[in-house]
Amino acid sequence: MLKIRFHGRGGQGVKTSSRILGRAAFLDGFIAQDSPIYGAERRGAPVVSFTRISKTPITERGFIFDPDIVIVMDETLLNDWLARPLEGVKKGGAVFVNAVSGFPPPAGHDDKVFITYDLTGMALEIIGKPIISSPAAAAAAKITGLISKSSILEATAEELAELDLKDELLEKNIQLAAEVYDVIPTPAINTQESEPITREVSPLEYEPVTHEEVIHLDISNLGNSALRRTGNWRIFKPIVDPQKCTGCLVCIIYCPDSCITLDENNKAVIDYDNCKGCMICLRECPLRAISSVREVRVYA
Amino acid sequence: MRDVKAITSNLAAVEMMKVEMLTGNVAAAWAARLADVDYIPAYPITPQTEIIETLAKWIGEGVMKAKLVQLESEHSMLTAAGTASLTGARVFTATSSQGLLYGFEMLYNIAGWRAPLVLVNVSRGVAAPVTLEPDHNDVLAARDSGFLQFHAETCQDVLDLILLAYRVSEDRRVRLPSIVNMDGFYLSFTREPVHLPSQEMVEEFLPPYIPTLPFRASRPVVKGASVLGGHIYTYFKHNIHESMRRAIEVFEEASRHYGELTGRVYRPVEGFYLEDAEYVLVMSNSFTTMGKRAVLRLRDRGVPAGLVKIVMYRPFPSDQLAELLKNRKAVAVLDQNISPGMGGIIYQEVAGALYHQRNRPEVLMSVIGGLGGKYISLEEFEYIFDVLQHPEGRKPNTPLFLFRKDELESVKRALGLAGLGGEMG
Ligand code: SF4
Ligand code: SF4
Repeated sequence: MLKIRFHGRGGQGVKTSSRILGRAAFLDGFIAQDSPIYGAERRGAPVVSFTRISKTPITERGFIFDPDIVIVMDETLLNDWLARPLEGVKKGGAVFVNAVSGFPPPAGHDDKVFITYDLTGMALEIIGKPIISSPAAAAAAKITGLISKSSILEATAEELAELDLKDELLEKNIQLAAEVYDVIPTPAINTQESEPITREVSPLEYEPVTHEEVIHLDISNLGNSALRRTGNWRIFKPIVDPQKCTGCLVCIIYCPDSCITLDENNKAVIDYDNCKGCMICLRECPLRAISSVREVRVYA
Repeated sequence: MRDVKAITSNLAAVEMMKVEMLTGNVAAAWAARLADVDYIPAYPITPQTEIIETLAKWIGEGVMKAKLVQLESEHSMLTAAGTASLTGARVFTATSSQGLLYGFEMLYNIAGWRAPLVLVNVSRGVAAPVTLEPDHNDVLAARDSGFLQFHAETCQDVLDLILLAYRVSEDRRVRLPSIVNMDGFYLSFTREPVHLPSQEMVEEFLPPYIPTLPFRASRPVVKGASVLGGHIYTYFKHNIHESMRRAIEVFEEASRHYGELTGRVYRPVEGFYLEDAEYVLVMSNSFTTMGKRAVLRLRDRGVPAGLVKIVMYRPFPSDQLAELLKNRKAVAVLDQNISPGMGGIIYQEVAGALYHQRNRPEVLMSVIGGLGGKYISLEEFEYIFDVLQHPEGRKPNTPLFLFRKDELESVKRALGLAGLGGEMG
């Protein structure tokens, strides 16, 4: 069985990627299983989804802890302590990272193949939006070495049609998937089927510890959301033009993360540590003083 | 109102307690008044409304100091109750049947928030068909919510169990809400003598509620945060379970103290003529009084009959119950509820409690009766004991369903009136 885990952010099409890949495997005659997992839905928040591809019936469900292949749809997730996209990737497995340029494998991961490609740039170029469900699925399909090009394109068409995509957009997505399929290499994947760990265990390891007191489900740590920087969620970055900004406060009111303030000259300033790139400010600014540029970061 | 001596021999300071003719509803209101509750969110539903009317009247007259607010539904009522409790207010509320179900999701929240309020449920069969009379499907639906549950046999029980419920719920070792259940009509609108403990007694018994990390405008706190992870969820659920299990001990401790003050001691499960009983009926709530009468009649005829009453339904006193039921010849569990497709709900729990008991009774019979307040006659109770003595030929997993021939005749007449055939159709 081949296990593929997709990591991305809400709005990137993470769930759809795992479904396109699942359907493509199904079309190619495999037994497939795909599923997402996410919390409270929020654009930009980490999302993860899974595809299992097998020739024999699949006896697993849910989270994939030991993937053969990981698709990281947003490179900033590599640093995210909650998402931990590289956790559990099997020795000899492959990691694909959607990034502007390549980088050497992070410490402790040189036993895996790393492939990088700028899917977002390609998506912006062809469909004009940073949604990369179809190219990420195509990349994954090619990396498995199991899925035919015709199946991935058919699966892309079927899955996106279910999402009611307009024909034109659908065509562009298929074009995008085809181009990505052609350019991504198929690495040699040398992973072993994981065996359940057998060892002597004390039953205490598998049963909860008794508490003599009541544990309250409270959060009293005031203002701890500041510890959670959302600045690395950005795909686009808002830029204020101080020449145009009149300090009207509109963007400040609309920013859902309260990360705009006025400086001493009455100009809007954005806190980029926390701005998540939702672009609401850009849409609301009556003076059109805010523009956007693509966020380009290189993981190191 | 007249004064009588408390009915106990070993009361140190023999308290003079007032005795009054009270309905179960007014007894519940008295308990809230004596507990000096701060906040009462309310929504009317028969047969519970009298509780709230009584409290509203007292507050209006100025003899009781509390804030009573009528919300727009039971869902809002329970939400207000839980959140107010988290500010440190002592909260009392009451509902019944469909009302309980309408606010149902909040029950789990209130328990998860560890808000130690007391909710009185006046049992009423759940529609459809519509009825106002009692059975326990409503309160048993709340079985798994994390609320403690106490079931009253008498109007006196209603008052005492509410006070005990506050003490146990607010105890730092438990910190979970309670439901005190009384049967609609059979208790709610039935008057009988009730001993009222003095305010001083209740103050001694019930220390002030000191909340943990209460809501304050000056200090925000998140209660019942989302965890989005099975292991964190499990951690908290397990803690609720453990706290709930501890409540048995905490209840017994509180009950001893209550007994010292009032002469009335409650146990999680209580026996009646158990000592040498071979045939035992397990039941709860107001119909128990009628069950006891049957036991006395059988005793007169030399039948070694006895009865076990379940007072505390959550946490379920499995060990205590198994201890009372071991070595009996045959046991019947009377469920005033039905889980369609399965049978009696409490029967299953009694069976579970007995499974590991050595010398468990060979016969464990399920009886379903009193649905929608259907009367259980003395003869029907005696019939249960007849079957217990001669269980041969009965299918073990098929409940004995109490329904008399004359009742069938009456149903037929009703069907006729409804134009559905039958005798008058
Ligand atoms: S809305 Fe535009 S003009 Fe107004 S403060 Fe913000 S950036 Fe400046
Ligand atoms: S893009 Fe604008 S509105 Fe959105 S988080 Fe950043 S500053 Fe706030």
